[in-house]
Amino acid sequence: MADEKAKKILEALGGADNIVEIEPCITRLRCELEDGSVVNEKALKALGAHGVMRSGNVVQVVVGPEADTIASDIEDLL
Amino acid sequence: MSLRVGSPVAGRVVALSAVPDPVFSQAMVGPGVAVDPLRSKADVVSPLDGTVVTLHPHAFVVAGTDGAAVLVHLGIDTVKRKGEGFELHVVKGEEVRAGQRIVTWDPAEVEAAGFAPICPVIALDASAEVLGGLALDTDVAANDALFAWSR
Repeated sequence: MADEKAKKILEALGGADNIVEIEPCITRLRCELEDGSVVNEKALKALGAHGVMRSGNVVQVVVGPEADTIASDIEDLL
Repeated sequence: MSLRVGSPVAGRVVALSAVPDPVFSQAMVGPGVAVDPLRSKADVVSPLDGTVVTLHPHAFVVAGTDGAAVLVHLGIDTVKRKGEGFELHVVKGEEVRAGQRIVTWDPAEVEAAGFAPICPVIALDASAEVLGGLALDTDVAANDALFAWSR
């Protein structure tokens, strides 16, 4: 189940090829992407993200305290 | 039932809206307050009795027995310090008491490195209405009450 969520978040971030780095910070995933413009904000919110903050190719997805778990699930998929 | 949430640090209690980070200032992960810490090396203590469920050098979450989880974040963007200047005294999964030291840090050093040392204290996934008695605009010592969380 958790892996499924990680998979969908990864898809919404543009897939594994788009990920430069993902780092969890307690409440959020700090994602450095190849191309920040392809991020599907709606899909991320549908997956439970409280917010999405973009600054060019750095996108922060606020997922709440399970950020650590989600980040390691995503790492497993990369 | 009301859960007393204590201050992890000594300093001035301010509204979350004063925190220069939208995740906290817009209460995206929950309501709470922030403490602008005294600028000297100090122990950071647990706000409640519970288990350390998440632990980073710069931030941690303690969950009480009924599931109430409180997040303490030491400064803004301090994940970039990569643990430098934070000395941990507990491990993830450890049971702690309110007032027990979790980490030692120096807000002055954090500030000198270019980071805001302000500390959001968040009632995770709570709604704003369930917090009462917020100690806003007062000076607190570590372990003084910050707010009461109705459970």
